[in-house]
Amino acid sequence: MSEVIVITSGKGGVGKTTTTANVGTGLAQLDKKVVLIDTDIGLRNLDVVMGLENRIVYNLVDVVEGNCRMKQALIKDKRYPNLSLLPSAQTKDKSAVSPEQMVKVIDELRDEFDYILLDCPAGIEQGFKNAIAGADRALVVTTPEVSAIRDADRIIGLLTANEIARVDLIVNRLRMDMVKRGDMMNIGDVTDILAINLIGAVPDDEQIVISTNQGEPLVGTDCKAGIAYANICHRVLGEDVPFLNLEEKDGMWNKLKGMFKKN
Amino acid sequence: MSKPVMLKSNKYGINLILDEHMDFEELLKCILDKFKESEGFFKNAKMAISFEGRKLTQEEEFRIIETITDNTSVNIICILDNDALKEELIRQKVERFEEEQAGKTGEFYKGTLRSGQVLDCESSIIILGDINPGAKVISKGNIVVLGALKGNAYAGANGNEQAFVAALVMDPIQIKIGDVIARSADKVQEGKKRKKKHSADVEVDPQVAIVKDGNIYIEPITKGLLNNI
Repeated sequence: MSEVIVITSGKGGVGKTTTTANVGTGLAQLDKKVVLIDTDIGLRNLDVVMGLENRIVYNLVDVVEGNCRMKQALIKDKRYPNLSLLPSAQTKDKSAVSPEQMVKVIDELRDEFDYILLDCPAGIEQGFKNAIAGADRALVVTTPEVSAIRDADRIIGLLTANEIARVDLIVNRLRMDMVKRGDMMNIGDVTDILAINLIGAVPDDEQIVISTNQGEPLVGTDCKAGIAYANICHRVLGEDVPFLNLEEKDGMWNKLKGMFKKN
Repeated sequence: MSKPVMLKSNKYGINLILDEHMDFEELLKCILDKFKESEGFFKNAKMAISFEGRKLTQEEEFRIIETITDNTSVNIICILDNDALKEELIRQKVERFEEEQAGKTGEFYKGTLRSGQVLDCESSIIILGDINPGAKVISKGNIVVLGALKGNAYAGANGNEQAFVAALVMDPIQIKIGDVIARSADKVQEGKKRKKKHSADVEVDPQVAIVKDGNIYIEPITKGLLNNI
């Protein structure tokens, strides 16, 4: 029996797809059987971020409409055999799938996988309703910005109204230099307003842009974001992992290192 | 000579405007003729009827309705009392009762109101939790927030400017009491370094918002203030 997790945010562009790709890959690295489902119909990009877009033959809408079997639509990841992707359609829109159909799709996959991760589209209408239909728990992604937090608050209200049992928070794209200057909210401010359990804080990292462009999730690698995502995976499994110290020590040594790096 | 019978429809049904001086029997015939004229239009209609322009006894009202229902396909469901004065008196009494109730009783709500949620209450309300930005509380009475008020609060929703809004942490986006509305100050650009606040140390500074001279004043709660509300 698998755990069905929906990754949602309300606001667009805060890092849902990146988080889905990295948490999914991270769980697969820990030997779990994982399937990622892209529920953003019409604007799919989970396949791009995973680097699997050239392997798509059938998609979620085909499965729902009965044009193919589930096995034909699932794509095995190129690096991890226990990780699969069910891509979305690029030519339809969100009205092509209903919440009941989503529940059926998820039920079909429950026996085969340990974790089903649903990448939710931005917004609160049909796409969101589809994505949360079969979910057991939710990861709400937000950035430490006022507009994102408003939307996350709304989403959390909707999730609790729809009786999603566990809702955890991921604060993404933290910039500790701005936090120190007082230009950006710190994690405490965000959790103060949203009042849910914090499951991870991911710093803003240039490597993310590179990794999404190349289709290679960076979880498990040495950069700060990679370590942060790996920690999130452990916490999803229920382990207690201390939070990364995101503050850069601004001593002479690091400044020298910075100078050499630029050359 | 103006028409003795005029049919006007309003959102509730048909308003029958009757001539005051005409003899009743003749009037009845005119009413019937009028309805027969519009038979095609009113075919099988179910409607409520109200009378205007002439004081009718109950018997006369019934006779008119009988005539209409017997001779046309129109179905009169009920008579609407068009007495404006009576209506106004009843409305005032109901409103006054509601106001008293709102002032005397209160309800509790446990939990935090998240963005987009609206809590609408007839009586005063005490909220054991926060009101997040984007959430709204509406009450005909007073509003007390045992937490942080960061959203919108509307007290005295029936026009009562004596209502108040109190909160442990008063940081609203907008407050409205009665018909007076006030908004929070626009955020001023601060170049200073923000103090690092730990979440346990949020400043609790109970304040209450009241209307004085047509403006909303937000003041810290002192014994004197509470007595003056």
